Amino acid sequence: MRRNTFWSWFWIFLGTLYFLLPLISTFLFSLRAKKDVLSFLSYERIFTDVNFTRTLGFSLVVAVFTILVSILLVVPTAYWIRLRLPQLRAMIEFMTMLPFVIPAIVLVFGLIRVFSGAPFFLTNTYAGTNALLVAAYAVLTLPYMFRSVDAGLGAIDVRSLTEAAQSLGANWATILFRVIFPNLRVAILSGAFLTLATVIGEFTIASFLVGIKAFGPYLSLTGQNKTYEASSLTIISFLLTWAFMGLIQLFNRGKSDSALAGAH
Amino acid sequence: MSFLSISNVSKIFGGVVAVEDFNLEIEKGEFVSFLGPSGCGKTTTLRMVAGFELPTSGEVVLDGENITYKSPNQRNVGMVFQSYALFPNMTVAQNIGFGLQVRKTPAEEIRKTVDEMLGLIHLEKHAEKYPFQLSGGQQQRVALARALAINPRVLLLDEPLSALDAKIRVELRQEIRRIQQTMGITTIYVTHDQEEALSLSDRIVVMSQGHMEQVGTPSEIYNHPTTEFVASFVGQLNLLPVTEVNVQNGTCKLNGQLVRFDHSEQSEQRQISAKPRLAIRPEEFQFGQAEARNVVLGRVEVVMFLGAVVRLRVRIGEALVSVDLFNERTMILPRVGDDVTVNFPAHACWIM
Ligand SMILES: Nc1ncnc2c1ncn2[C@@H]1O[C@H](COP(=O)(O)OP(=O)(O)OP(=O)(O)O)[C@@H](O)[C@H]1O
Ligand SMILES: [Mg+2]
Repeated sequence: MRRNTFWSWFWIFLGTLYFLLPLISTFLFSLRAKKDVLSFLSYERIFTDVNFTRTLGFSLVVAVFTILVSILLVVPTAYWIRLRLPQLRAMIEFMTMLPFVIPAIVLVFGLIRVFSGAPFFLTNTYAGTNALLVAAYAVLTLPYMFRSVDAGLGAIDVRSLTEAAQSLGANWATILFRVIFPNLRVAILSGAFLTLATVIGEFTIASFLVGIKAFGPYLSLTGQNKTYEASSLTIISFLLTWAFMGLIQLFNRGKSDSALAGAH
Repeated sequence: MSFLSISNVSKIFGGVVAVEDFNLEIEKGEFVSFLGPSGCGKTTTLRMVAGFELPTSGEVVLDGENITYKSPNQRNVGMVFQSYALFPNMTVAQNIGFGLQVRKTPAEEIRKTVDEMLGLIHLEKHAEKYPFQLSGGQQQRVALARALAINPRVLLLDEPLSALDAKIRVELRQEIRRIQQTMGITTIYVTHDQEEALSLSDRIVVMSQGHMEQVGTPSEIYNHPTTEFVASFVGQLNLLPVTEVNVQNGTCKLNGQLVRFDHSEQSEQRQISAKPRLAIRPEEFQFGQAEARNVVLGRVEVVMFLGAVVRLRVRIGEALVSVDLFNERTMILPRVGDDVTVNFPAHACWIM
C-alpha cells in the first residue's frame, strides 16, 4: 500500500515537472528583457504594442461571429437530426470530424480557389475576406460545437419536449428558442469557449486570408523577431487558455450543482 | 354526430400495420381508455388524434371539424406523456403557463389560470420550484395541469402512471378521474393496466395487434367479453374442454357430468369452435353441494392465501382451474390433495 502511494506521488511529481518546467523557464526567460535584472519589461512592451491589442481585438470579434454562426448552424441541425433523422447521426458526426482530418492549409487553399474568382469575388473586399474567415472557422471548429451540442441534446428528452410544446400550441421558432436553446445553455457555452480558444490562436487560415491583422500571425511574427516578448506572449496565451477552461468548469459546476440538488 | 370521431383509421409503418380500421365515436365529457398489450397500437392511435402521426387512411373529426391533417400545434389538444416531459428550464408555474403564453394571453389572465391549476393539483406551494425538485407524482400532476391550462378540447394521456410506484399510481388515478369529471373534459387514456382502465373509464376499447377487439363499459367488457382475447386479457378466465354441446338447451358435458351454461348470447354472437370450451371466471366458484347450480368434482393442487382472496388451483378432469374464494375469518382452508365439490351457476359460464 505505502509503496503504491509513494510511486503514485512520484509519477504525479514527474508529470507535473514535465508540464511546469518549460512553463517556468519560459516565464523566467520572459523576465530577462532588461540586462542583469528581472523585470516585466517585455510584458510592458507587449501591452503597449498597438498591434497586440489590435490583432487580439480583431480575432476576438472574428471569434464572436464564428460562435454565432456556428450556434445558428449547429443547434437546429443537431436538433433536427435527433428528432427526425436519427439514422443520419453517425454520418453527420463523421462529417463534423473532417476538419480534424483535413489539414487547415488544404482548407484555406480550397476556399481561396473557390471564393476569389467568379461568381463570388469574396476576397476582393475586406468584408468579404472577413466573412470567408468566419466561415472557415465555423467549419474548423465544427467538431467542438457539434459534439457539445449533440451531447447536450442527448441529456434531454428532445422528442417528448418537442411534442409537449407542440401540443401546447408552440411553433418551431418558439420550440427552438424557448425550449431547446435554454436547455442547451451549458453545452453551447462549452462549445463556444473551445471555439474562442481555437480561433484566437489559429495561424494557418488567418495568415493566408488576413495576414498580420489576426492574433495568430501576430504571435508567430513576434516569436520570430522578438525573443523576450515571444516568451511573455506564450505565458499570456497560456493564461488566456486557462481562463477559458476555468470559465467552462465554472459553468459546468453550476449545472452539476443544480443536478445534485435534484437528487435530494 | 359525436364530439370526437375516429373513422376507418389505419396506420402502416413501412409495411408494419400498427393500427387497422379503427372506428370510435366519443361523446363530449366521456372518459375512454385504450387497453391492450404492448405493441397493439394504442400509442399510435392516440398520436394520430394528437397530430403527431398522419393516418395512412381514414379521418379524425373533432367537434365537427376534420383535423386529420391539421398540425399538432393547431389542434388545441392536451397531451400527457409517460415521461412527464416538463420543460427543465422552467418553473412549475412557467410550465403550466407555457401554453397560454404561446397564445399571447394577457399576463394577468395567465397568472389567474396558473393559480387555479395549481389549486386543482394541490401544488400551490411548489409554484416556483423547478421540475427536478419535484417527485415523479408531483411532476406528472404538473404535466396534467400544463395540459389542462390551455382548456383543450380533448385530453390525451399515454400511460401517464406507468413510471410511478404502485401507491402513487392508485392515488393519482383517482385524482385524474376527479379532475376530469369536475372539468367535464373529453379524455382518452392509454394503458396496458386493466385495473386502471376498469376503475377509471366510462368506456374501454380493448385492442390487440392493431385492431379493436371490443368497445364497452367496464362491466360489459368484464362480464360480456365478445372475443376470447378480451375474455382472457381482462381479468382471469378458465377454459375447460367440454363435449356434447347443445346450444339450444344450453347444456354440455364436463368431465362426463351434465353442465348448464348461459346460451342467451350464444347463437348470434359466437360460433362454437371445433374444440368447445366452457368459460368461467375464478370468482364464480363456490365449494360444496348446491341446488340449481352446476356441481363438479375436483382435487386441490395449489392453495395461495392472498388476504382478502384465497386463490386455489383445482384439477377438474384434465383441466387445471383457478378458483378465487373470498376469505372469511372462520373459513377452513382446503389443503393440497383434498377432493372437493365445486359449484357454479349456469348464468356465470358460457361456451367459447
Ligand atoms: N415510428 C414508428 N416506426 C415504425 N414502427 C412503429 C413506429 N411507432 C410504432 N410502430 C409499431 O407500431 C406498432 C404499435 O406501436 P404502439 O407504440 O402504438 O404500441 P402500444 O400499444 O402503444 O404499445 P406499448 O404498450 O408498448 O406502448 C408496434 O408494432 C410498433 O413497433
Ligand atoms: Mg405505447
